[in-house]
This record gives sequence, structure tokens and C-alpha cells, in this order.
Amino acid sequence: MQFVQHTAWRADYGINYYLGGDGISLFLVVLTGFLLPIIFLASWTDIGVRIKHYIFFMLALQTGMLGAFLALNMFLFYVFWEVMLIPMYFVIGIWGGPRRIYATIKFFIYTMVGSLLMLVGILVIAYLHFQQLQILTFDYLPVLPGAGALINTEIPAAGGPFWATQIGLFLAFALAFAIKVPLFPFHTWLPDAHVEAPTAGSAVLAGVLLKLGTYGFVRYGLPLFPIAATQDFAPWIIGLSVTGIIYGALVAMIQPDIKKLVAYSSVSHLGFVMLGMFALNIQGLEGSVLQMVNHGISTGALFILVGMIYERRHTRQIEDFGGIAHVMPVFTVFFVIATMSSVGLPLLNGFVGEFLILIGAFDKTPYWAALAAMGVILSAVYMLWMVRRVFFGPLRHEENQRLLDLSLREKVVAVALTIPMFWIGIYPASFLRPMDRSAHELLLTLEARGAVIQREAPELIEIDLSEQAEHAGVHE
Amino acid sequence: MIPSVDTAALLPMILVGVGALFLPLIEVLLARMIRQKRTWLSRPINRSMAGAWIAAFSCILLGFALILTLGTVGADVRFFNLDHPTARRDGLTGFLNATILIAALITVAASNRYLAARGIDHGEFYALILASVLGMMFLTSATDLILLFLALELMSIPIYALAGFQRGALKSIESAIKYFMIGSFASGILLYGCSLLYGVTGSVDLATIADRLDPENPLALLGAGLVLIGLAFKISSVPFHQWAPDVYEGSPTTVTGFMATAVKVAGFGALIRVLGIALEPSSESFYWILWWMAVLSMTVGNVMALIQDNAKRMLAYSSIAHAGYILVGFCVGTEEAMAAVLFYLLIYTFMGLGAFTVLAGLARSGEEPEQVSDLAGLGATHPFQAWVMLLCVLALAGIPGTGGFIGKFQLVSSAVARAQQMADSSLIWLSVILVLNSAVSLGYYLRVPISMWFRDPEDSRAESSDSGFLGGAALLTCALAIILFGLVPNDLFVVTSEQVDALASAKAAAASLR
Repeated sequence: MQFVQHTAWRADYGINYYLGGDGISLFLVVLTGFLLPIIFLASWTDIGVRIKHYIFFMLALQTGMLGAFLALNMFLFYVFWEVMLIPMYFVIGIWGGPRRIYATIKFFIYTMVGSLLMLVGILVIAYLHFQQLQILTFDYLPVLPGAGALINTEIPAAGGPFWATQIGLFLAFALAFAIKVPLFPFHTWLPDAHVEAPTAGSAVLAGVLLKLGTYGFVRYGLPLFPIAATQDFAPWIIGLSVTGIIYGALVAMIQPDIKKLVAYSSVSHLGFVMLGMFALNIQGLEGSVLQMVNHGISTGALFILVGMIYERRHTRQIEDFGGIAHVMPVFTVFFVIATMSSVGLPLLNGFVGEFLILIGAFDKTPYWAALAAMGVILSAVYMLWMVRRVFFGPLRHEENQRLLDLSLREKVVAVALTIPMFWIGIYPASFLRPMDRSAHELLLTLEARGAVIQREAPELIEIDLSEQAEHAGVHE
Repeated sequence: MIPSVDTAALLPMILVGVGALFLPLIEVLLARMIRQKRTWLSRPINRSMAGAWIAAFSCILLGFALILTLGTVGADVRFFNLDHPTARRDGLTGFLNATILIAALITVAASNRYLAARGIDHGEFYALILASVLGMMFLTSATDLILLFLALELMSIPIYALAGFQRGALKSIESAIKYFMIGSFASGILLYGCSLLYGVTGSVDLATIADRLDPENPLALLGAGLVLIGLAFKISSVPFHQWAPDVYEGSPTTVTGFMATAVKVAGFGALIRVLGIALEPSSESFYWILWWMAVLSMTVGNVMALIQDNAKRMLAYSSIAHAGYILVGFCVGTEEAMAAVLFYLLIYTFMGLGAFTVLAGLARSGEEPEQVSDLAGLGATHPFQAWVMLLCVLALAGIPGTGGFIGKFQLVSSAVARAQQMADSSLIWLSVILVLNSAVSLGYYLRVPISMWFRDPEDSRAESSDSGFLGGAALLTCALAIILFGLVPNDLFVVTSEQVDALASAKAAAASLR
């Protein structure tokens, strides 16, 4: 961990303001910081009323997201995790579409049910730790060598009361994270929230908020309950992820609404992220983290671009468009690039992530990975079909004749989002290199805590060990 | 023998009692001055001014009493009779009395404008509040069943009158009669329980009862159970809650706030004493009863609140649910849990009263605007009230960053700690039920901000929202307290833990008497 900040908040309870980042959280933090200004720029004219409140809620949302990515105290993590819901609730509720109240309540209650059980889980772990080491703390990692840290809690894999075993606690945590991801079948809040949210809300929701679920699995779900996560539940989660990949793709295919289509494509893409993570090898893990960033950029970009055309036409139905490449050539270029990035065309970011994930998954479960690879094809089908119906062919609707192409502000937004797509696609090393050590360390931690993981590419691990020795002082 | 009286310890009670007796008199004098068209600082005295003066005067009295109470929170004083004290003023009492006085202060501050708008700003209102507060202050300090009962009645009877204070409104009268009937019924049950306990143990002193109580004796258990039921009525815990929604709906809104908070604080205070000292030997027999009471109160309260359209009824059911949350602390029964209960009572006072005060501010000629939909557009028309209301409902729902979250966290934390210590799964399930109930409660709490921000002001039947200067100050206090205890709860925790230590030492003293 680097950039560690540790200040006592309620020291008698071991509740501290404890932040720090590593290679896994690094790019998610960067992603958050990168997307938010772009989203502000993109929603410049979209948000017409109560701009003051809008800025307030968006910045509060950013605070919550950054806090949750960086928190190393589980109480603090929980606080940020929940606090995030309130600004999102208002963003959807005030500036959202016609069914916004239904969507916002569903979003709030769904996510809250999961996270409240996680709170009980956090407390159980904290008191287990207290029983074992006589230190009451909510710090996740030791702030100093020898200090109490929940990561060192010995949670029995079996035996004793159910709620104090890895299985019971993993269920409590996994529910919170799986709802946020959203893992099939906990995804039903997502399409509603996305469709009703304003452009900015959808972009933040898809771009950053969903990553908190997957990040929660990497940061807490795997290391705290290695045996339950890697043995008892890994087949289930892999199965659900692949189901989500296929199901999301199939449902996206028949959506008449572009925004809903992109929303369901998120279900599909986050299935890949989960699949890579539970492949439990270095390729899968790095691909998974990279894919979180990729999905944030490309889906964020798609939502923003859909928002631009919605602002002009006030409709998002695919059948209301057709042939608009003739009137909006610049927009078409950017939209097609974002689509290609989303379907995983080589040289664009989506390809790198999905490729790594599939390599990792093939190593672990070839059959499931083969099914997941089908999902890649399906995503090309629904995305390209949508692009064809919206942008190409004859210009069928009279209203679309007068559509204006992108303004300078919109071009800036689109270019800013396109640059990282190419960067990650052409030279992913500048993103993979910094996460190498953290990813290796995570796997080593898992192994040390009793998980059975596949070790591939042994030479990488040797490098890691020597690096670790080198940086041992800096690290903990 | 002349009972020895510690006047200094009684001073807050004396202040409140004197206020209760003299406020009606002052009102008569003011009425006389109005009739004679006297002036004050060259301004003619009118009715609303007289009302404001009486409100301000009761605020000053309560404020002094609060300062005196706070000044001696930790002190351990026994009064009336040093050899066989019928009441003691230890830290627990001090803390609870301070909470009650804060609740009364906020209620009085909020009531002035509310009563004036409805033409019922009679001085007796404040006298009745003060009399009830006097009863509560004795209720939390009673260590004797007789004083306990007297204090309970002194607390309840003024509230029966307050519930029917809006004499013109049928609903208000209905609620007064309902509350009176059920309240006296509960008092009767409590008294019967007391008499059984006395019959079995031959004493009315709580510590002596604890000494002599035989948990195997069915008569003793019956007596203890009846006392528990009597108190359960006052804290409106399921299955003794049916009166609450009707009474809360019909009573004047500020009185409802007072009933939902101060009465509950006093009732729980008595419960801490009775369960913690007198009935401790039989606590194992009561564990499952309390467990079910907690579970049912939380679940029934929250589920019923989901289907309410009337904001007062909704908050009534929510207060039943909150009684359930607090009962979780009683099930756990450790010192940490009791500290959590005290914390929760204080923070609940702020969040509950804040919500009721905003509701009371909504004004309309004729029918009361008290539907949730009447809050529509408040965020645009009255941002201050809307933000306070938002803070209150978020705190009631237990969202992090507010005191309500810290309170719930503390309760769950004590339950999990105890469960792990005793390897007792029932407490874990209790915590799980508590947190799931918090999620359910969002279903109705969120309707309040939805109404305030996502709907147009035209949907509201409220014509204006005005809390007045005193009411505004009360709202600000609630909001600041909710934020402050949500972000830096440390100091309050030190205080609550100290008070519980005091209770523990009281228990130890009682045990040493045996």
C-alpha cells in the first residue's frame, strides 16, 4: 500500500480514517478522477434546473466513490459505500426520466439490503479478530507491523456457528458486492436505474459505481474468505458470470431503446470481469482489473454519446433513427469507435481485457470460458446491429435531417474519451505494469491463507518475489 | 422521622415543578394586562405576544433545569431518605433527565407558533408539559415501586390532557380518550404487577426485591411480567402498540413529537432500572420475551409504516420500530449495550423531534396538512425545513454520517460482540433482523425526500411552512446534533459509558446489600 494516511477517528473502537492505494485501486481512482470532469462537461446543457444541487450531489458522489476505493478501514469503507447511495438517489430522482421514482427506490433498497448484511459481517469479523488477538480494530491491513488487522483474522472454513464461518460471512459480503456488480440474477435494478437516470447519472453509474462491486470482491471477498471464495463458491460465481454474459447479451439484442441496450451490455461485460477474477490466476486477475477500467471508459463513453443524441432528438428508440451518419459524420465516428471498444476489437481497450480474461479462464475452466467467448461474439452482434440500424442505411425520418453534428465542447468530450481507448488497446503495458505487483501479492496472500489457486507463468512470480523483497520496506 | 431532602439534587425538579404550578397564574396576569390595554416597552400586549412570553419563560425554566442537570450528570445522590432511598440521582438519571429536558425544550420551542396558528395557545399547554416532565424526571430516578408508579402517573395524566388539547378537533378528543383508556389500563396492570412483587418479596425497594426474588416462583414471574407489560405500553412496543398510531395521529403534532420521544426515554429509563436491578435474577426467563418483543416491534412497526400515507401515522409506526431497535440493546444486556441504548435514546430524541417539528410547521387553514404528499416541493419552497427533514429521516433510517447510524451500529456491535462471546446465534439473528428492518424502513423514509424534492409544490395541500424563530432554533439544534453525533460521537460515548458504569456500580451496591 502506498500513499497511506492513518488518523484515529474512534480509536477505542479501532475505527480510523485509514486510506491508501495499490496497483488494483490505482486505476479505479484514476478512472473516477478522469470521468467526473468529462461528465460535467458532457452534461453542460443537459442539466437545466438546480445546477447548484447537481454539482453538489455529483461531487459528493465522487467523494464517496474515491473513499470506497481507497478506504483500508472496513468501517470507513462501509460509510463511504453507503454515503454514495444518497447523491446517486437524488441525481436519478431529481433529473431522471418519467419512471425515476420507481427506479430510484429500487436502486436504493436493493443496494442497501446487501450492504447492511455486510455490516453485520464486518462486525462479526472484527469481534473474531478481537477474540483471537485481543485487539479491537476495523483496520483492514496492519498500519504498522504487528498492529491488528482484519486481514489476519483466522476465519474457520467450517465448524462452529454458521455465521462465523467463511461460507456464512462470504455470503453476507458477496450479496452486497454481487448486487452492486450486478451479477446475474441480482441485476434487475440496473436497467431501470440506467434508463431513468440522466446522462451524467448513467455514465457515473456504469463507469464507476458498478466497479465498486467487483473491487469489493478483489479487495475483500477473496482475501478475507479465501477457502469459501475459491472452493465453495468459485464454481457458482463463474457459472453466474457466464450466465450473465450470455443473458445480458441476448437481452441487449432485443432492446428497442439504445440506452437500455447499453445497460444490458454492462451486465454482460461485468460478467467478464467476475469471470476473470475467479479464474484466480495472474492473467485473469489483471485482465479483470483492466476490464473494469475499460468498461468504465467505453460504457461511460457510450452513455455520454447516447445522451448527446437524446438531447437533440429527445428519443432513444432505435427505430426513430437510421442513416444519421449522413448528417452527423463526426458523431458517427466517435460512436463507432466506442462501440468497437465495447465489443473488443483488437487495437482498442476492450480487446486487451477480454483477451486476458479468456486466457485466464481457459486455464481454469475451459468449457465455461468457451461459453464466455460466445458472449464476445454475441456482443459484436447486438452492438453492430444497433450501429447499423441507427447510423447507416437511408435517412428515414424527416426530423433527423436537421440534426446538428457535435459542437466543440462535445468533440472535446468525445476525443478525451477516445484517447485512453487507443492507449490501452495499443500499449496496455503502461497500465498492466503498475498492477503487476499488487496482483501477484493478492494471489500470494490468497495462497498463504489456504486458497487453492492455479499458478501459471512461474517466472513472473519469481520476479515478483524479488521485487517484493526489494520493496518490502515501502510496502506495508 | 423527618425525611432528609437533598435540595441541591432536587433543584431541577423543583424548578420544573414550580414552573408547572405558576405558569397558569402568569397567564392570568398577562390576560389581565391585555384587557387593561397595558403596554410593554411602548408596545401593546396582545395575545400572541403573551403566548410567546409564556413559551419563552418555560424555555428559560427548562434551560436552567437542563444546565443544573448537566452540571451534575455524574453525581450520585440519593434523596428523600438516606437510609432507604426511594429515588437516586445517579449518572443514569442525570443523562436521561438531560435527554428529557432537551426533548421538552425542543417541544416548547416548536409549539409556540404551532399553537398560535391553531388558536389554542393557552398557557396550560406549557404547564402540562412541565408537569409531565416532572413526572418523567422522577420516573427515571425511582428506585422504589411506589415512587415509580406515582411518577408514571404524573407523567401520563398531563399527556392525556395534551393529546386532547385541540378541543375543537374530533380527532384530538378521540385520541385523548383512547390514550387515557389504554394508559389507565396499562397503569392498572403495572400496579397489579407491583402488588404481586410486593406480596412475594415483602418490599417495594428495587434492590431488596432483587435480593429476595425467586426466579422459580411463578407468582414472582407473573408480577415481573405484568410490570414489564405496563412499561411496554408506555414505550409502545409490539404487542402493546395498537394505541400509538391513532393517538399520534390525533394529537397536536408537537405533542406527538413529545410523546414519541420524551415519554419513550422516560419509559426506557424505568425499564433499565426495573429490568437491570429488580428483575435481574429472573433475566434469563425474560430473554426470549424481550427477544420476541424486539423482533415484532421492529418488523410490525416497519411493515405497517410502509403502507401509511399520513406522515404522523408513518412516524408513529416508525417510533414503534425504533422501540424495537432499542429493545435489542436490552436483549444483549451488557454494559456496552446499555451505553448504546442511552446513545440511541438521545439521538432518537433529536431525529424524532426534528421530523415532528418540521411537520408541525406545515400550516393550512382548516384541515391539517399531514399527509406525506403535503411535503411536496418543500425542498424548493422551504429549503431549510426540507434539509432538516432530510437529515432526520436519513438518521432515522440509519444512513452513515448521521447519529442514527452510529446508534444502530453501536447496538449491532454490542449484539455481535455478545454473540461471539457466548457463541449465541440468537443474537446474530437479532442483528440480522435489525439491519434488514433498516432496509425495509428505507421504503417509507425515502418517500419523504421524494415528496420534498421530486414532486411539485402544487401537489401539496400545505399553504405555508413556518416554524417561527424558536422553532427554527429547535430545528437547527436537531440538525447539528444529528451531524455532530454522526461524525464525532466519541465524547458522547465516553459520557454514556460512564453513566452505565454508574449503573453497574449501583447494581454492585445492591448486590452487596444482599
